Amino acid sequence: MKRWFLILILTFLATGQAIAQKTIPQHMVPIKGGTFVPLYGDEAAPVEVKGFLLDKYPVTNAEYARFLADNPKWEKDAVKPLFADKNYLRHWDTGQGTAATGKAMYSPVTNVSWFAAKAYCECQGKRLPTVSEWEFAALASEDKPNAAQDEKFYQRSLDWYSKPNPDILPPVQNSFRNYYGLYGMIGLVWEWTQDFNSALLVGDSRSDASQDRQLFCGAGVNGAKYVGNYVAFMRYAFRSSLKANYTVANLGFRCAQSIK
Amino acid sequence: MKRYTYLLLLPLLFGLPACQEEELGCCSKPAAEHASASATHATATPTAALTDMSLYNLESEWQNQEGRKMKLPELQGKVQLVSMIFTNCSYACPRIIADLKRIETELQQLDRDDVGIVLVTMDPERDTPARLKEFATDNKLDPSRWTLLTGEAEAIRELSALLNMKYKQELDGNISHANMISVLNEQGELVHQQEGLGVSPEATVQAVQGLVQAL
Repeated sequence: MKRWFLILILTFLATGQAIAQKTIPQHMVPIKGGTFVPLYGDEAAPVEVKGFLLDKYPVTNAEYARFLADNPKWEKDAVKPLFADKNYLRHWDTGQGTAATGKAMYSPVTNVSWFAAKAYCECQGKRLPTVSEWEFAALASEDKPNAAQDEKFYQRSLDWYSKPNPDILPPVQNSFRNYYGLYGMIGLVWEWTQDFNSALLVGDSRSDASQDRQLFCGAGVNGAKYVGNYVAFMRYAFRSSLKANYTVANLGFRCAQSIK
Repeated sequence: MKRYTYLLLLPLLFGLPACQEEELGCCSKPAAEHASASATHATATPTAALTDMSLYNLESEWQNQEGRKMKLPELQGKVQLVSMIFTNCSYACPRIIADLKRIETELQQLDRDDVGIVLVTMDPERDTPARLKEFATDNKLDPSRWTLLTGEAEAIRELSALLNMKYKQELDGNISHANMISVLNEQGELVHQQEGLGVSPEATVQAVQGLVQAL
């Protein structure tokens, strides 16, 4: 009997690793790979997105507070201004109460910088999603993985974006759930991406097109294809206005993971 | 009873790989952090403590054109001109090198030890240290002045974010990118940037001169 258990244990040891890698972590959903034409892309050359895992919800205030407990260098008083500006976690002082217990504990954490978001994800063994991954996953409506041609879907998204932010953001579970089972990809908060600084839309290129070639090497500047997707346009424009230590009252994040 | 002991062991076995993985990906826990902090103090950091706005606070590891591993604090103590390039770039990058050389000429009267020029690749896959070395030789970049760096894609993205540098890998292998020359003071703080190609170097030269005088 003893021997039998030993064999069983050894078998588990051998396969444990493989099983662990195939299991989808809690609160993440798989996004099947595919291609899409991003806003500033070329229709003849769709971008390929490999299959990946994405957090079901944006990171909440309570989750972020737990991260701070383990990583005090990201506490409000300790963080270097290089990595987060002075408004970092500002909402924790005003109205919304402290995050771990307050009214906003299940609301998405905002007022976090790119560096903070990146560090959070790395602590979970994850990373921030790329712009392409995020946009690809955000193409989904409730029932279609790609609602790029669905005007009603856009109109609804636009309506969401035109509403002012409530004082306390709604809990993440109450937000829009799309085809993949992702919550709040639209209608909750803006979200950081790994390569947020890849959109080449700088002030100069908007005001003086002839200068483009002096500022940029390559052709991928500013050639929007799907201007119909004004919602995505807003996201690209917003991202291009950000710096990595900026914190914004309606900018949060969620984490992604590559499929090994 | 023994049987139960084995059963109790099972979850431990399952837990083990998960924990290890977590520790690998995780930023250091407070205790570990103290350990590593004291370790760096004990070993080689002859330079002053980093200021809060120093870009050298990035902890990433890099390789120079000689293939030597280095960290950014090694750049401390000199005024550094920093640009991001990739060696396969045919249009803008040669011109940004030309712009940097123009600035270098203007700064000739300054002590060589006071000013460095750093080129960081945006294309770590193709720009190996050997390729960077070749590029430096082809462009006659004096190794006592010019440092060419490559690193992990993540580290490059992080540095680019601090330099307000936008870039994007295109499908055809090109990289669309902003053209920017940044001036870092001897502590690694960003103090001046010129954007675009063929810009008059005057302001940048003045910024460097001012910093060198203050050294």
